[in-house]
Amino acid sequence: MRMPYTRGWPCGPAGAEGERVEADELLVRVARGDQNAFEELYGLVSGPVFGLVRRVVRDPAQSEEVAQEVLLELWRSAARFDPGRGSALSWILTLAHRRAVDRVRSARAATEREQREGMRAHHPAFDQVAEEVEAGLEREWVRHCLDRLTNLQRQSVTLAYYDGYTYREVAEQLSLPLGTVKTRMRDGLTRMRECLGGAA
Amino acid sequence: MSLFGRSSRRDLHSLAAPYALDALEPHERMRFEKHLKKCDRCTTEVRALSEDAVRLAWSTAAQAPPAMRDRVLAAVRTMPQEAPSRSAAPARPHHLPAHVWGTEPPPPPRRAPRMRSLLAPLATATAAAALVVASLFAVQATRTQDQLEAERDRSREIANILSAPDARATSERDAQGRGIGVVASVKEGRAIVTLSGLDDPPSGSVHQLWLMRPDAQPHSLGLFQGDTPLVTGGMNGDATSLAVTVEPDGGSAQPTSQPITQLALKSVGFGE
Repeated sequence: MRMPYTRGWPCGPAGAEGERVEADELLVRVARGDQNAFEELYGLVSGPVFGLVRRVVRDPAQSEEVAQEVLLELWRSAARFDPGRGSALSWILTLAHRRAVDRVRSARAATEREQREGMRAHHPAFDQVAEEVEAGLEREWVRHCLDRLTNLQRQSVTLAYYDGYTYREVAEQLSLPLGTVKTRMRDGLTRMRECLGGAA
Repeated sequence: MSLFGRSSRRDLHSLAAPYALDALEPHERMRFEKHLKKCDRCTTEVRALSEDAVRLAWSTAAQAPPAMRDRVLAAVRTMPQEAPSRSAAPARPHHLPAHVWGTEPPPPPRRAPRMRSLLAPLATATAAAALVVASLFAVQATRTQDQLEAERDRSREIANILSAPDARATSERDAQGRGIGVVASVKEGRAIVTLSGLDDPPSGSVHQLWLMRPDAQPHSLGLFQGDTPLVTGGMNGDATSLAVTVEPDGGSAQPTSQPITQLALKSVGFGE
């Protein structure tokens, strides 16, 4: 099953300039209080926002809560978006990721010990990408490109981005020095960029 | 920051990737954002790395729960927006700071109030509409303690309705643009009701909301105060519609005039 709202998400080599521009324009209209534009934007981004939040937060009820907060924040804070500074999709997903990470960290702080035990049995997050709801070609491309990374690059990137661990926690989990983790994250992201087809 | 020497500055540079992945602890995040303001090279790098990180998100898309759509779209109808302003721009606490995205000055105000939709009176209502979302977004305003507490209660009530698993929204407008919007939960027996496109009631009178049920007298759900959404309990599961009439100040026990607008409740799960 292929979701309508993931159609042409700019992960594959072809990109999707049209949708990116569409989201930019919609968000600018939303900033003017245009509720129809918000409804359209919702159709475009609710799937990616919910999926990302759920990937990081895991718990379905909490994921829904966080995703809902993010989407309402889009409405409320749309005026902060400046199309000259980046794409709306990046802005939106960056916001969603930040919120998801904040939530999962505060939940973890509450049950730190339990979580630490859980981590050891926990396989690299990348493996779970495969379990995600179909996101079509895009998912395949990300997976393909993650495959191209070294193990440490991949684990450093995915433990941080998909599982919401700080780089210090990642270093601890992988028994690596902090400096090494920071470098692996940087190299991992850069290689992903090359693999996924250059400028976003 | 003399506390941190040159090696520490190099450390700061190396935080660009963890920052882009949201993998810094709060104090490091703050310190790095401070550093970004003075470091063009880092700004460029962070911007590129952030775009890379976001691409990881695109593979996780999943079907969002349909009920969430109803709730979000309904909430948006009553939710005020932040006005873009220079003074607000540096405060961007929740996402990449302005300078990360470039060096342009903040955008000029974009707000065009006249372009807002027909439900604009609700969205622009001041304290009243603001308190609808106060619990979610901690909207700040200067109010007395009593008012604040009353609003907090109200906000909690609204948040409860919005988060009820069976909360549904619907709205209807007639040819003149007059209409009722509702977010309701059958299970909770509660609803948030908004009016749109109605003229103010004549002086000495009010808009009163009625619940219509089969084989029963209209039941008063309360009086509207200006544009303020009405939060109400007493939504019986067998209710068929809502109606609004103009009544003398203080309201009436039973309607004394024809409804000026009505809304069927079937689509939000009532009357079944």
